[in-house]
Amino acid sequence: MKDIITLLQPRFYSFKNKGFSESNRGGLFKLLLFGTIGTLFWGGLFAVSLRVLGYFKEIAELGDILAYKLLSMALVTIFFLLIFSSVLTSLSKLYLSRDLSLVHSMPVSSYKIFIARWIESTIDSSWMVILYAIPVFISYGIVYQSGPFYYGNVVITLIFLSIIASGISAVPVIIAVNIFSASRIRGILIFFGLCFFLVLFFVFRLLRPERLVDPEVFSTALVYLKALKTPAPVYLPSTWAFDSMKAVLNGHIAEGLFHSALSLSFAGVTVLMVIIIADAIYFKGLSKTRTAQVRLIKYNASGRLFLGFLSRPVRAFTLKEVRIFFRDQTQWSQLFLIAALVVIYIYNFNVLPLEKAPIKIVYLQNLLSFLNMGLAGFVLTAVTARFAYPAVSSEREAFWIVKSVPIPLRKYLWIKFFIYFVPLLILTEILIIATNIMLKVTPFMMALSIINIFFLVPGVVSMGIGFGAAYPDFKSENPAQAVTSFGGLLFMMVCAGYIGIVIVIEAGPVYNLFMAGIKGRVLNAFEWIWIIGSFTIALIINIIAIVLPMKFGENRLSKLN
Amino acid sequence: MIELKDLNKKYGNLLAVNNLNLIVPKGEIFGFIGPNGAGKTTTINMIGGILAPTSGDVMICGINMEAHPEKAKSKIGFIPERPYLFEKLTGMEFLKFIADLYDVDEDLFFEKSQEKLEMFSLFDWSDKLIESYSHGMKQRLVMAAALVHDPEVIIVDEPMVGLDPLAIKMVKNLFQRLAKEGITIFMSTHTLKVADDICDRIGIIHKGSLIATGTAEDLKRDVDAIDADLEQIFIRLTEE
Repeated sequence: MKDIITLLQPRFYSFKNKGFSESNRGGLFKLLLFGTIGTLFWGGLFAVSLRVLGYFKEIAELGDILAYKLLSMALVTIFFLLIFSSVLTSLSKLYLSRDLSLVHSMPVSSYKIFIARWIESTIDSSWMVILYAIPVFISYGIVYQSGPFYYGNVVITLIFLSIIASGISAVPVIIAVNIFSASRIRGILIFFGLCFFLVLFFVFRLLRPERLVDPEVFSTALVYLKALKTPAPVYLPSTWAFDSMKAVLNGHIAEGLFHSALSLSFAGVTVLMVIIIADAIYFKGLSKTRTAQVRLIKYNASGRLFLGFLSRPVRAFTLKEVRIFFRDQTQWSQLFLIAALVVIYIYNFNVLPLEKAPIKIVYLQNLLSFLNMGLAGFVLTAVTARFAYPAVSSEREAFWIVKSVPIPLRKYLWIKFFIYFVPLLILTEILIIATNIMLKVTPFMMALSIINIFFLVPGVVSMGIGFGAAYPDFKSENPAQAVTSFGGLLFMMVCAGYIGIVIVIEAGPVYNLFMAGIKGRVLNAFEWIWIIGSFTIALIINIIAIVLPMKFGENRLSKLN
Repeated sequence: MIELKDLNKKYGNLLAVNNLNLIVPKGEIFGFIGPNGAGKTTTINMIGGILAPTSGDVMICGINMEAHPEKAKSKIGFIPERPYLFEKLTGMEFLKFIADLYDVDEDLFFEKSQEKLEMFSLFDWSDKLIESYSHGMKQRLVMAAALVHDPEVIIVDEPMVGLDPLAIKMVKNLFQRLAKEGITIFMSTHTLKVADDICDRIGIIHKGSLIATGTAEDLKRDVDAIDADLEQIFIRLTEE
């Protein structure tokens, strides 16, 4: 046990020393920002849960059925989220961490190393899920007026559930790593995990739950009620947690303890089983991951065919970027996610019940189209944050090559800019054009949206590249996570402000132009001055947004030691 | 040739390189030695244009690095201490990338790259991803890349780290041959035997200052120890 505690100490010390690190730039700001967002989200969840459960409680008989069904569904969801999170975390913690070579060179049994890593993995994969599940359970406690025993029981039940999920996830990971390499598995798992998540999301979206509040489809509620009473599978650990919580909520403490004991005994068995399996094959699997990867797809296109029109340095950087991007399997799932995001985004516009709105359709369509520019801008910001912002950091420790070659940093950054600008412009224009077609907007709004996006995209991409260059993290194991750093947050806030300002500046003139078009009215001189002035200011802001961040990034990057 | 004029580098309050003045003429192999943290890598990075000096000038073949960084860098073949590379490229793709950036004649690239890869025993690995290379192979690939554009100056930080004895012998012979062809080599090393074997002159840096320069014989005279080897000279000059 002493060895395991010792093995866990570096993690504890790293956490403790984080605040003193010089590289922890903007740590307090980040903490405050994330803390506020997190607290708001937590509070929101709590308020919604309390409101919904309070509403259910007022409905005689059906209310309790609905509340318990909700509890059961929440626990099943939490359980599967814990499993998904545990699989990815345990794979990284047990097989891919950089410090594993050092730890395994020490005179400690590999099963002890496994236990220490597994404890870390269990905590890392479950703390956030549990933290955001707690407001839901507190709401149940308040609405059902439960005593302190209920809250204590919730805590231990969730801990048991996390241990079970982590144990259940670790077993297939340990076995799979003995068959395939760990880094390959991570790519495959992320890919299939996202597939699974997206299928669930699509099914949920295609069911259109918003129709349940539509009285016209109320006849399906009886069928729905039948489904509500269907119990969850009895062998599912989340069902034991549900049974325990439900019993305590109803005041049956002994019954609740029995179900918690079931969870406890299974958690114990799971831990034992995992340790036995790990003792037998963990080290063997780890040794296997230390061997080199084989390329999945081999292609050696020189790129001259498609990129022949570019100068040699530009072509060299573009080819390098494209090759690295497509050879990194973790990027594939991200592309897949973006494709799904586009489909969902467009689909949501397709099912908007515009005809039921009390406002005239032509106004609503064009109003939505205008607001959609801002919305598409925010989607663009998120995608830019994921891809363009880490573009400089993704050079990692090979950045010395960029600094030693006879290419100015400015040129390097502009190459990066254009590599991301072209696909992001295409993506955003697709979003805008497709949604405008679905909204059946006027040609004026269509043209305005296309032109506006054409000027917004370079500004956002420039901010992504510029802020990414100004606040690079070349030592990160995962440069994609750089966006959660101080610079990443700054980028997102500045970007949101930029998009918001451009939209607000254009709102008045666009409304005037649109209404004049609809009513066949001629604009007066003052209106023309206002319109031209506003669009000129928007254009100037766009140009500043393109030039300044790149300059800022270049200046800071060139001074980097 | 390389010329360093009043070169200084400060990291906050720490003076990493203190008023360095040095001329390395064409065709000379200059060995730069010093204890850990003495300022070797900082100096190497400033000569390579990777790090901007706090003050002072770096001249490469008469070109000021600060005023014309691209022109100066095009003369250099830079070999860092740790061979961090683009792991998802193959060896050949990496060489092509470097050749494109240094504007190597496209018609000659294949011939040149093949020659360098064979020279560093990497030809059979040219189609493999760099992530599958060993440390020594990556080091050899960096060296091949540094030579692909026929540089006039080679800046190399710890060239022998990670290389096997055969590769060390090959690199030593290669550097001597290149120097004879008129290429200037500035080499930092901890391997004093290597410095003793191939360097025309040696500079010892300690706490950011160049405390001695000259041939091995000059250094022996400086410390009044004619029979001493380079290791003893080094210890005597750098001990507190």
